[in-house]
Formats: sequence, structure tokens, C-alpha cells
Amino acid sequence: MFIMAGGIMIATSCDFSSKAPSIQLNNVKLNLDDEQLLSELVETIIPKTDSPGAKELNLHLFVMKMLDDCTSPEDQKKFLEGLKAAEKVKGKSAEEQLAYLKALSNEDVFFNILKRRTIQGYKNSEYVMKNKLIYELVPGRYNGAAKIDA
Amino acid sequence: MANLNIDSEKNRTYDAIVIGSGISGGWSAKELCEKGLKTLVLERGRDVQHVKDYPTTNLYPWEFEHRNELPYAVQQENPIVNRCYAFHEDAAHFFVKDKEHPYVQEKPFDWIRGYQVGGKSLLWARQTQRWSDFDFEGPARDGFAVDWPIRYKDIKPWYDHVERFAGISGNKDGLPELPDGEFLPGYPLNVVEKYFKEQVESKFPGRKVISARCAHLSKPNQIHLDQGRVQCQNRTLCQRGCPFGGYFSSNASTLPWAAKTGNLTMRPNSVVHSILYDESKGKAVGVKVIDRETKEEMDFYAKVIFVNAAALNSTLILLNSKSNRFQNGLGNDSGALGKYVAFHNYSARISAQYEGLLEYKTDGRNPAGGGYIPRFRNLHKQETDFLRGYAAGFGAYRSSWSDESAVGSDLKNSILSPKYGIWGVGSHMMGETIPKESNFVALDGQQKDEWGIPLLKISVDYDENDSKMKKDYLDTMEEMFTKAGFKNIQRNESSQAPGLDIHEMGGARMGKDPKTSVLNSWHQIHACPNVYVTDGASMTSTSTQNPSLTYMAFSARAVDHAVNELKKGNI
Repeated sequence: MFIMAGGIMIATSCDFSSKAPSIQLNNVKLNLDDEQLLSELVETIIPKTDSPGAKELNLHLFVMKMLDDCTSPEDQKKFLEGLKAAEKVKGKSAEEQLAYLKALSNEDVFFNILKRRTIQGYKNSEYVMKNKLIYELVPGRYNGAAKIDA
Repeated sequence: MANLNIDSEKNRTYDAIVIGSGISGGWSAKELCEKGLKTLVLERGRDVQHVKDYPTTNLYPWEFEHRNELPYAVQQENPIVNRCYAFHEDAAHFFVKDKEHPYVQEKPFDWIRGYQVGGKSLLWARQTQRWSDFDFEGPARDGFAVDWPIRYKDIKPWYDHVERFAGISGNKDGLPELPDGEFLPGYPLNVVEKYFKEQVESKFPGRKVISARCAHLSKPNQIHLDQGRVQCQNRTLCQRGCPFGGYFSSNASTLPWAAKTGNLTMRPNSVVHSILYDESKGKAVGVKVIDRETKEEMDFYAKVIFVNAAALNSTLILLNSKSNRFQNGLGNDSGALGKYVAFHNYSARISAQYEGLLEYKTDGRNPAGGGYIPRFRNLHKQETDFLRGYAAGFGAYRSSWSDESAVGSDLKNSILSPKYGIWGVGSHMMGETIPKESNFVALDGQQKDEWGIPLLKISVDYDENDSKMKKDYLDTMEEMFTKAGFKNIQRNESSQAPGLDIHEMGGARMGKDPKTSVLNSWHQIHACPNVYVTDGASMTSTSTQNPSLTYMAFSARAVDHAVNELKKGNI
């Protein structure tokens, strides 16, 4: 147990800026520190409650994937600038991170991509689609006049 | 060596050759094989076997790397096909990418193609309506193009024939302008679509809103089960290929049926260069093919040839089939080959909201997509300052939404407890365009593709008739929406280029007179009657129906004719 705890201590206090992130990226450069920060920020956007939050659902990896593959070079650049600026709240409390994100405008490219992709990843996650907002691959029916339960 | 050559030629000789395996080629193949002809189907693309080659068909949304979005680079590299509504991560592998098969746009034209076994029959929107004599008589009545050499009575039995096999869902609506068919049960209009139907039909006599008719097995018959297809499961993921065979495609239906006869030889990766014409025999004798991968050139021979490469590629093949007798393309004595290309005008939509019927929602999904408004404009007589008219789609949907303005647990709670919004409604136009000599395709004089075939040059544009019709559609729909009590009506005119409708037609039109048309009433080239063209290239005019069902019927009817002519020794 000591070793485990010690291991975690070391892991969280280590500098990962030179380490590669846990998924391969082809277009943008992010390091493991950036990944760590993103995992905190997506968790702030969609936190763990009585159900899993964004970090547990690996939505920071989804944000990174979409940033890498599905974002224009101009927006990638702006995102990286926004991420750099957000480093000041790395490791801070959820309240402080929340206050930081709320102070960003909706037109802020970094915030816009981060939030939009987090929500997209969340709604389309296996957990949500199987447990919360059920997605049916094979509905097998159509009713054009279904009564809504009051 | 001589014997070897004879054997080799014999091995490359069939009773019939079909060029193309899409919706019309699949039908030509099925009918030829069933009638006992050894049939070679040449498909320029790769093989796609039903179910086995639908890699995305059973994937859940979270299983797509980009949740069904295409990467930025793919979108940038493919400005043309990226404009197609179905070009996403789940079906991109069934579309031709822009750089793979270039063409020359004298005027903007979005040419959307699917080069594989099954062609675009995997990807089509599956809407199926019959033509009536209001359509076939259009050019003669209104004085454009040339008179169709056929009428509804000629094609009716063949609509019956193909509908029974393909499986078409729809209601018997009793409309002379949109004849009823051999239907499986129709999909219902939803509660707001039904409301709109009642409003329109009571306030605008002569206008109808019906359930869209579509090629889905709402309730399969034995003939569909015999094809290995079962009831449509309302997935509406059709563009991925359907593991149930719930909708009609060549892959699920006609091609495996043809294969079962033992008479079918499929040859994928076979790019047709040209049709070989033998002057001494006065007919076509075969087809020159370039292997897509090896670039090897080889000839195949047959008594009869069906050209089903899709409208513009069928026209391209005929244009490139030059001989001493036909120096400007096979069957082009009239000079009409490549000309009188037309399409459907899809460049206007209208949307609105409806605040009533809030105690209802929809449950499951409707593969038919909703309602269909058959053409009413200029139907019985000319009543506007533009020719012809439009059909329209109509759909109502009630989606749930959630306030996503917050960040944190409020956001999460909001996402997890979506609320029903009010109803949204929408319509799009499908306008007839007038075939003109100035809308044409031709071989490019210089550039060739990697198989040595000239690139196709496309010069097709809208005209004033289209603009007037578009305005009339928007004005008319706005009035109907207003009278139905819809709010927040939004007129939406797109500047989409021709082609994006994926209803390009003409290029080798049918007609009574060889001096002004390429094909006769049986789809035979006037001057080379053992070549039949039964896809969109043969269309004399476009009317407003989704055309695929008509190509199926054309193909079956033409095969019946060809086999009889072969028996009689006429071709």
C-alpha cells in the first residue's frame, strides 16, 4: 500500500512535459502534461456525480483526437494558445477551474472547442448511450403519434 | 497459338454484357440471367459483397473514431463529394473521392459517384414513385425536348414487375399523377405530417400530401425472404449497407439473385473503355476493358450489350466508342449524344415550427422519411410563366433538447434530462429542369484518366425557368405553411451546383426520330440495335419523380425485348 501510494505521489508530482501523450497525435503537439490538464478541464465541464464524469470516460482523449484530426490549423493554433493560458489553473480546485472557464467567452476558440467536443463525446459515449440517453441501433418500429407520458 | 487465341476469345465470349452493376445494371443482369443468358457484368470499382463488405454497418456512434465526422484534411481534399449529405465517416468508403476520378467542369457541377459493385444503389435515398402520362406527355404538351416514344401503358407492367421483387412500401393514394403500384404497407405520416396533409387538402384543392413511397420491406413477401432479405428494422443507417437487406440494393437483391442462376459472371475492377463496333456485321460485338489495377487491356464479346454505367458515364462510354462508321461516338448520327442533359432542381428548402400537438412525439424511426407532395403546378394545364413544376418532400420532427449554456454539474444534469421542444417542419423542392442542347457533356480534347480514357467535360447550368420555379415553390410552400399555422417560416435558397441532386439525366435520350435522338422506344441505339441503354442517360425529360424505380422498369422491359429479338434473329 505504501508503495502504491508512493507511486501515485511520484506520478502526480513528476514533470511530464517531455513525455508523449497516451494517444498518437499526427498534427498537433501535446505532451502528457497537456493531457493531464485537459483531463482536469473536461472533468470540470462534466464532473463525476453519482455517475461517471468526463475524465473517467476518457473525454480528454476524445477532445485531443478531434483537435488533431477534425480541426483547422488556425483553430488548432488558437486552441493550443488557450490551453497554454489555462496552465495557471492546472492542479487547482474544481471551483477555481470552473471560475476560470466561466470567465472565458463563448467565442473563445479554445473554450468553444473544449466544451463542444466534451459535450459531444459525453453524449456519444458508450456509458451515456447505454445507461442514460439510450441509443437504439435497431429500433424495429416507428410510431408517428406516440403519446408523451405526462 | 491460333487455337489458344480462339480458346481465349471463346472464354471471353458471353451471351450478354452488362456495363455497370448499380441499380439499373443489377436489374439488367438479373433479368438476363433469369432468361438463361450467360451474362458478364463489368463493374469498374471493387467488389462489395452484401453484409460482408459493409464494415460500418453494426457500429455504435461511440465506435466511430470521430463520431461520424470526417477529418478536416479529408473534407478539404474533397470539396465536391463533401457537399453530399451522406458523405460521413460511416459511408465515405462508398463514395468516389475528388482526386481519384477528376472531370472537367466548364460550369460548376457536383458529380457524386459510387464506384463499386452495387454502385450508388447502396447509397440512394430509396424514394420510389412511378411516372404517369402527365410526365411522359410533358415534352409534347409543353413543346420542349422531343416526344417520349413511350407512354405509361408501355411501362406499367414493368413497374409492377420490378416493384414486386424490389419491395416498395406505399399507400394506394388513387392519384392519376402518381400511379399506385404493387405496394407493401406504407409507412405512416406522423401526427404533424398528418395535420399538414389535412390542412393542405382542405384549403388547397388539387394538392396532396401522402406518405413517401420507398424501397423498404415494411412487410416482406415470400419473394423477398427468398432473396435472403427480411423486414426493415427502422435503423435509417442505410448508407452503410443494410445487414437485413431492409432496403433494395443491387448487392442485397438483384446481383445475388442473378448469381443463383449460374449464368452470372461478375468482373469487378473492369473499366470499360469503349464498345466495339463491327462494320461488316453492322452491330456491336463486344466491349474493350482496361483492368483497373493492372491496366491490362482486354476485349469481351457478346450478342447484346446493356449500358448501365449511370447517366454521364454511359454517355461517356458511347462518346468514346468511335469507329469508322460512328466517328463522333456510337449511335451518334443525330449529334444529340451528350446533349440535352438535365437534372432535378433541389436548390430551395423551407422550414418552420409548429406549436400544436405537443402531447405527441415520434417513437422509433421512419425509413420513408415522412411525406411527399406530388407535383400539382402546371399539372393539368399551363398556369404559370414557367414550364413544368416540382414535387416536394415534407417532414415533421420533434427532437429533444437540453440547455447547454452552463459548465459543471448543472450542464451535466441538463444534458441528462432533455426536454421536448416544439415541432420542426421542413420541405425541399424537386424541380423538373428542361433538357437543352446547351446543357451537355463531351470528351475533353486533351486530358485523359489513368486508364487512357478522355476526361468528361461537363457544361450544365440552371436557367431562368429554374429561377422562376424556385421562387414559385418558396412562395407556394410559404403560403401553405402559413395557412397551416406554422410559425417562424424560413426560406432557404442554396446556391448548390447541378449534380448535387444526384439525379443527372439524359445524354443519350430516347425519341421517335433517329435524327433527334439516340435511343428508340425499346432503349436500343437507333443505328446499333444490339446495344441498349437503360439508365439515366436514356431520359428524354426529367419530370419530378426520383428516377431509380423507372430505370429498374426500363431495364427489365428492355431485357425482355432484347431476348425476344435475339430469338427472332433480329439482333
